[in-house]
Amino acid sequence: MAMASDISVPPNPPLGGSVAYFDGTSSRRRMVTLRFADRLEINDGEQALAAWAYADIRRADSPAGMLRLNCLTAPALARLEVRDTGLANELVSRCTNIDDHMIGRRGVAAIVGWSLAAAASIVAVVLFGLPLAADRLTPLVPEAFERRLGDVADSQVKTMFDAKVCDNAAGQKAFVKLVTALRESAGLDTSVQSGVLSSSVPNAFALPGGKVYLFNGLLAKAENADEIAGVLAHELGHLKHRDSMRGLIHNGGTSFLIGLLFGDITGSSALIFGSRTLVTSSHSREAETDADHFAIDVMHRLGRPAKPTGELLLRVTGKEGKGLSIISSHPLSEDRLARMSRQDPPASGPPLLTSEEWRSLKAICGGKS
Amino acid sequence: MNQMSWPPQVPPPSPMPPPMPVAFSGSRGEFFDLVKRGAGLEFVTLGFYRFWLLTDIRRHLWANTHVDGDAAEYTGRGKELLIGFLVALAILVPVYLGYFLIGLEAEHIQAFASIPLIAFFYLFGQFAIYRARRYRLTRTVWHGVRFWMSGSGWIYALQASLWGLLSAVTLGLALPWRTAALERYKMRHTFYGDLQGSFEGRGWEFFKRGWWLWLLTPIAFYVFPLAPFIYGAFKAIEWRWWLSGIRFGGVRLESSLPKSALIGLYWKVIGWIVVLGLVFSAYLALAAVLVAGMSGDAFSEFFKSQEFAKSIPLLVLAGIGYLAFALAMNIVIRVYLLRDLWVRVLGSVNISGIDAAANVSARGEMANALGEGFADGLDVGGF
Repeated sequence: MAMASDISVPPNPPLGGSVAYFDGTSSRRRMVTLRFADRLEINDGEQALAAWAYADIRRADSPAGMLRLNCLTAPALARLEVRDTGLANELVSRCTNIDDHMIGRRGVAAIVGWSLAAAASIVAVVLFGLPLAADRLTPLVPEAFERRLGDVADSQVKTMFDAKVCDNAAGQKAFVKLVTALRESAGLDTSVQSGVLSSSVPNAFALPGGKVYLFNGLLAKAENADEIAGVLAHELGHLKHRDSMRGLIHNGGTSFLIGLLFGDITGSSALIFGSRTLVTSSHSREAETDADHFAIDVMHRLGRPAKPTGELLLRVTGKEGKGLSIISSHPLSEDRLARMSRQDPPASGPPLLTSEEWRSLKAICGGKS
Repeated sequence: MNQMSWPPQVPPPSPMPPPMPVAFSGSRGEFFDLVKRGAGLEFVTLGFYRFWLLTDIRRHLWANTHVDGDAAEYTGRGKELLIGFLVALAILVPVYLGYFLIGLEAEHIQAFASIPLIAFFYLFGQFAIYRARRYRLTRTVWHGVRFWMSGSGWIYALQASLWGLLSAVTLGLALPWRTAALERYKMRHTFYGDLQGSFEGRGWEFFKRGWWLWLLTPIAFYVFPLAPFIYGAFKAIEWRWWLSGIRFGGVRLESSLPKSALIGLYWKVIGWIVVLGLVFSAYLALAAVLVAGMSGDAFSEFFKSQEFAKSIPLLVLAGIGYLAFALAMNIVIRVYLLRDLWVRVLGSVNISGIDAAANVSARGEMANALGEGFADGLDVGGF
């Protein structure tokens, strides 16, 4: 009965106060006496229970008003509990290494230092390593896998926008003529799939695995075939550079690494989202600028101007103002128009579509014609 | 022993000693300093300090919890949690990749068909909860003997998932029986030395005490101020029922926590969230005005052109402010919902038959912190 021994104070204790000892092999509490010899001797009456070398004694967690000790060479959970302040002070002064295992100021400084180093390395990987990895890995991804990704994205996009493929005969014929001309000029093979979707959103996009979609909403805002041709050439540029695949690797890696960085600070997901947007949009702006250059080259090779496309974009987005567009994924429309107008030769080739074909294309979603 | 106010002096061997309360001796100021300093270090280390802060919080709470006149001890260390987290990452990365590829195949067959795969992560989360509990228990020491756990994390996860499915289907009505079944599994596999635990709480008891809250819950969706009352009462009932069902051999716990005990805590947290939110908004407004002032444009033009949404200095200031806001929230939550809740719940507990634990042989090995790492990586928590 542990409590009973509480009352029987050892007769003539060498050192006063009540000291409890747990030997680490059972939960039995023994009231003991201590003797400061060349080692700390722990005795229960006449019986010697243990002897701890002073250098091996360490402080364990305890509530205020009690000193709790363990010993490196004793069983891991053996504990000595001293409640007498005088005795506790005496013990602390004899055990010179008592706080050696605590994380002191230097320990905390080390944690801070290593954390900052880890954070810096994560940021460096996000800013420099991932774009490089995306560039190198993209050519290694098999085409078949990319097409598979594209099929998945395809069905999701169609469900999300509730869009159907527009294909009335005359319009489709004009569209195919336009895309074929662009595709040949761009040097892409016949695996490219394309179509017009019935959505009022003014947009066009490329999916992994060689799919280009034009939304009817953009067609409605366009005033001539050159405007649309430039947009399609831009999307073909994304296909040529495999930007979707690159973006996927880059985005996935960035999300993962930034998530690692901030860990579980409550509500950190907003922060993660914010910083990820900053990083990935700067990457995608580069890709967009490259696709623009590609589109300009394609149009010039066909002897057509690129400027109309810039005008269409500006018409769609409106004036975007100056300032740093660090979080927008596309370059500013004004800048794009300026780039497309620069060194734009007058039209030297034949129109890509006759005015009759252009009218059919505009009406591609308008049912039978 | 005579300097301490606890426990009430137990008379020498009597056939049936009266139940004894559990005492908590930590000062609130000390805990506040601990989490304040920890939040500052989390800020500086961008969150990496969390492993050490969590460890220090547990050490403080454990070391100040007195049972039978002796305080418990938490022997876990921050470094273990860090290693557990890193190993968990090494395992989770391929799992996430596999999830991505399988999801891709599923999507190929049918759009959005990959959503059921989320169920796998629920299962994994339950596994993590079980293994994290095992880690914490094996770092809990009292009278020089550690707690430990047997059982299988995967069997537990399977049970938890099936019961979770039943709870979802019954709109939460099966929850009391789910909790009871899972607690029985956990406690049956929990040991203090060679003393086996068990759980005597019945789902029906829990249901009888809380069914009216289930009826009130739909109203709380429309009358928002009702929600903290309902949640606070629910948690108090759950705590009381859970604690009163815990047994270790002949050691019995009994809790007398009143239903209203925790409601005040939740309101205090809500009050602080409002205050901190206002401070954060004021800070954002101030930062916007400052940046607008520096950009040299007229205010109205600066905001009208939507330029402010793209300005780097403003974004950086907002990011720093948000981080500080999130950390301040963490301090509030830790003080009220961790420390104060701990103290209130512990204060309601009485233990009888503690003699059964007076001479228990040490057994059980230490578990690794992998479960804690998974729980961190998957953002799940629980006892």
